[in-house]
Amino acid sequence: MTLRRITVALAAGLVALAASCAAAVLLGPQPISLASALAGVEPDAAILFGLRMPRVLLGALVGAGLATAGVALQALLRNPLAEPFVLGVSGGAALGGTAALAASALIGPATMLGALASSGTSVALGASVGAAASTALVFALGRIGGKLVPEAALLVGVVFNAFAAGVITVVKVMVPPEDAARLLYWLMGAIGYADPGTLLAGAVLLGLAVTVLVALSAQLNLLSLGDDEAASLGVEVGRSRGAVFLAASLATGAAVALAGLVGFVGLIVPHLLRRLFGPDHRVLLPASALFGAAFLVLADAAARLAFLPLGSEPPVGALTALLGGPLFLWLLRRSDRSA
Amino acid sequence: MIRHPAIRPFRAFRSWRRLSAWLPWRFVALAAVLACLAPGPASGDEIPATPGTTAPLPHSGPTWLGPPAPARPARVISLAPSLTDTVIALGEVGRLVGVTRYDTSPEVKTLPRVGGFLDPSPEVVLGLRPDLVLWLADGGAFPAVRRIADLGVPVLALPVVGVPDVLRAARVIGAALGNPAAGERLASEMDAAVRAAELAAAALPRRRVLLVIGRDPLVVAGPGSYPDALLRIAGGENVVTGGRPWPIYSLEKAVTDDPDLVVDAAVNEPADAIRRLAAIPAVKAGRVVRLPDDRVLRPGPQLPAALGQLQSALRDGAPAGAPR
Repeated sequence: MTLRRITVALAAGLVALAASCAAAVLLGPQPISLASALAGVEPDAAILFGLRMPRVLLGALVGAGLATAGVALQALLRNPLAEPFVLGVSGGAALGGTAALAASALIGPATMLGALASSGTSVALGASVGAAASTALVFALGRIGGKLVPEAALLVGVVFNAFAAGVITVVKVMVPPEDAARLLYWLMGAIGYADPGTLLAGAVLLGLAVTVLVALSAQLNLLSLGDDEAASLGVEVGRSRGAVFLAASLATGAAVALAGLVGFVGLIVPHLLRRLFGPDHRVLLPASALFGAAFLVLADAAARLAFLPLGSEPPVGALTALLGGPLFLWLLRRSDRSA
Repeated sequence: MIRHPAIRPFRAFRSWRRLSAWLPWRFVALAAVLACLAPGPASGDEIPATPGTTAPLPHSGPTWLGPPAPARPARVISLAPSLTDTVIALGEVGRLVGVTRYDTSPEVKTLPRVGGFLDPSPEVVLGLRPDLVLWLADGGAFPAVRRIADLGVPVLALPVVGVPDVLRAARVIGAALGNPAAGERLASEMDAAVRAAELAAAALPRRRVLLVIGRDPLVVAGPGSYPDALLRIAGGENVVTGGRPWPIYSLEKAVTDDPDLVVDAAVNEPADAIRRLAAIPAVKAGRVVRLPDDRVLRPGPQLPAALGQLQSALRDGAPAGAPR
């Protein structure tokens, strides 16, 4: 029964991903012909293989990471409002990445541009450490009387986001203006043009994190019942939670390092999937990876195309926030009614 | 132990307990090792060597990225208004096929736009099939520009900060367009204008100037910025000191600096909004010169005109012998 539901969910996810990738690869500001691109005619081939495909891959990676991190955090907090962006995990990752950028700027002004220009090792490491530290903070301070209180954890996340934003603003004033502008664009959440090495590193880290979360999905079913219940059902609560927590932090950190602050993907996608496939995490987690990838690829294509007449494109993070903000409020009102 | 079917692990993860015992610590170590192995410049000094772009991002001089450019490129894209100005001044506007959305010169009004400083669209650039892209080297657009170069378009990266950079850019762009004589001529014209301005400066009253770039927040031109370099040549003294080229300046500091003259270069903000700065004695006394355009902010062939604007501001902007 479960296996069939998983198969159906994965098949649907693959179809959605394939459709959104096809749309994103074929549509863009520059009309290209698929036939001539495949025949190697320039510039169509360069646009298709050199620009759109890497961008689609980047969007898919980030979307999969953020959506699975969202599912994992919702299970750990037992609250549908939990999400990397809302919980301050993305904020922590952004702070970590910013700190890495600023450190490289302060250590070697002469070598700064090169270091800043590649969103490579230092930013990814900084972002992952920042994500893990903020997750730890949220879960530690979200405890009241030794028990995790989801609302308190969410509030800690909101406050931590504001704090991280403040620190980032201070850093922005401290670094040279051209770096500040770059920092701002990165933080807005733009799916840009990472080099193949960065893409590969991101794919490895996100693949690892998603695999771990999928492997832990059965445990998440138990953890979402509550710590005591999970323990009574044979889960080593501390250890499992630690692993989920690290994998979710790694996924968020890698996603933020690749694309900056793209909010609410971890809210929108799992919520839609719960309505479609139910709350079983064994279905939800792998489906979130696929649908999250499809969602962000599609959102990025929409961001690229919708603002074409203006000769500009908003970062995809703006679009996901436009969709996610109202959804968050709706979920909040709904949970208020059911309470 | 209760084993409800809905919570039974997948078959693939039946050996879950062993897996979970293994996971947390080794997982962390593995992640750390992978992160350390992730490709990226170790020192930050060099661009990862990809075919076609082995040159580092220029810090001081013009640099080529991507494949070699043809001797006389026919389809040129400019990624900065000041570089567009240079191409126009060289008499080669006919070869431009794309400019930024910030370009306002009438000569390029009808050309396609390829994005901005920070966000040039590689797709639009490639679609225009350029054989030369002129880029005002800047960290922000670097990933996009590097991608353009990697995909086979020659990119000339020009760091332009000071006046010598402007002269050099004219020569280098002239040579890149296959018209070195025009580049040399333009550079010498600007050089002559700089010398003339330096001579004229000797006859001008020495005035302490605050160059306002933005009013809300108050952003001023500090040492190391292009307007500061022009002001020095024109014979003015910048009241702003310190290490930042474009500091967000405290109004209190501006009041204490007590400049003889305020030059209002915030041309995109309404003229009367300068009243917001009325706490500065020079503003209160009306010793403000509003510049008619953004020439002093465009490091390019507008250089002589920009020097002229600043010198006429220094000459006439404030009553002669205004109290210090």
